[in-house]
Amino acid sequence: MASTSTRKGAVPAPASAAKETPAAEGAVPGGLSTTDQIVELADQLSACADQIHERVMSEIRSYGGKPVPDKVQATARALLEDEVLLRQRANGLYADAATFIVKALGKPQAHLVKLTADAAEKIRRIGVIGEVTGLVAGLIGLAGAAATGQAVPVLMALEKVHKQVKAIEALAPKPSAAAKT
Amino acid sequence: MLRHFATRLFPRLMLTGALLLSGCATTNTGQVSLQEVREFADASARLGGYAELARRYRDTYEREQPYLSPAADKLAKENDAKRRAVFEDFVAIQKTLVLYMQTLSLLAGDTRYDLSSRIDDLGNGLKANTESGLQQRHITAYTGMTRLLTRVIASGYQNRSVETMVRDGDADVQVLLDAMIQLTRLYYKTNENEKKTILGIFDVEIPFSTRNSDRMLVTLAKVHYMNKATEYKLIDRRYELALQGLTKVALGHQKMRENLGKLSSDEVRRLLTNYGRDLRTIRDGLSGE
Repeated sequence: MASTSTRKGAVPAPASAAKETPAAEGAVPGGLSTTDQIVELADQLSACADQIHERVMSEIRSYGGKPVPDKVQATARALLEDEVLLRQRANGLYADAATFIVKALGKPQAHLVKLTADAAEKIRRIGVIGEVTGLVAGLIGLAGAAATGQAVPVLMALEKVHKQVKAIEALAPKPSAAAKT
Repeated sequence: MLRHFATRLFPRLMLTGALLLSGCATTNTGQVSLQEVREFADASARLGGYAELARRYRDTYEREQPYLSPAADKLAKENDAKRRAVFEDFVAIQKTLVLYMQTLSLLAGDTRYDLSSRIDDLGNGLKANTESGLQQRHITAYTGMTRLLTRVIASGYQNRSVETMVRDGDADVQVLLDAMIQLTRLYYKTNENEKKTILGIFDVEIPFSTRNSDRMLVTLAKVHYMNKATEYKLIDRRYELALQGLTKVALGHQKMRENLGKLSSDEVRRLLTNYGRDLRTIRDGLSGE
């Protein structure tokens, strides 16, 4: 029997881990510069992809088995494609984390993660499915920029997503009743 | 390599185990045979899971490729190259750890095998830091470990006891296991996105296919979906087991390090017996589908 302390993610603290943290290896503090930070962003992008999928599925379910109009199908397919692209970006970051490519980004990484978390929440609550597409496009841009590891494109992409999240907030006061979440 | 070694070793282990059970705390060249240490080290060396999951990670693209659009395929190809570039390093860590555990097992036993041919495996080392796939501390630990093993094995184990090996090796063992755990988690997360990519397409497309002429296609798609869903369910379990196993190995070794000089005490022996048994249970879970 595998009895105690087998919880997922239980890492025994290695004796030597404390003396040399990844951040001490020439990375810029606060940037997207350690394995953990890269993984965290990738986790967020995966979570956004999950929310996109869930949103598309709830739209499909809302037709209760009746034929889904062509226009909605087209939107759903486009979003599915975006979802897959986000997952590829996330997997790219996981591969980067595994290879520990240290890229210094000037922006505090917490900001990145918060913004993507906001985006996931917006995708979950958004009323009209067409409105998701702009935000998702912004996210794809952000994910692509993060993959380059360069500060300027990331900052520009961040700003864009930030604006889209704001715009959706202004536009959609309440989640629609049709969309079961 | 590992399997070959294990099949050679296993029958003798059984014999040794039987002898020990019959009551002789065997000594040879003045060393006490530490059965529990030996069993733990042996179970650690034979754990499995990691190498298979590393290969699965490397081969992600092959599995997902048929499902990808041209745009996604472009990204997936880049990711494939990244994963393949570092695969050998991921495997090298595991090989080193296995050799360490095998050496420890031999030190703790009363029989002698020649591991010197295995030293060659360690010769290549990891690639340069920039492309390697590992953090500096992982590489330092790897280098330290290979040095320790080379010394112990090349000296024919003279003047090496289980205690000194555990004491000298623990820090590096822990760092290498930490690397393996971190990598296994990344394999797991990557697999999660692969799973959701493949199954997700069917989630969306099946409800859209409502024409009568789609019927056969939908049926085939549903069967394919079920097969894939089952495959991923089984593989998910393997990631969990592999992570549990690596954590157990780390804990067991840490306990030995904390109890140097008391390795023959009843309490430590019981503890190690439990870890060894847990590891064998995990291994059985990994080998049975």
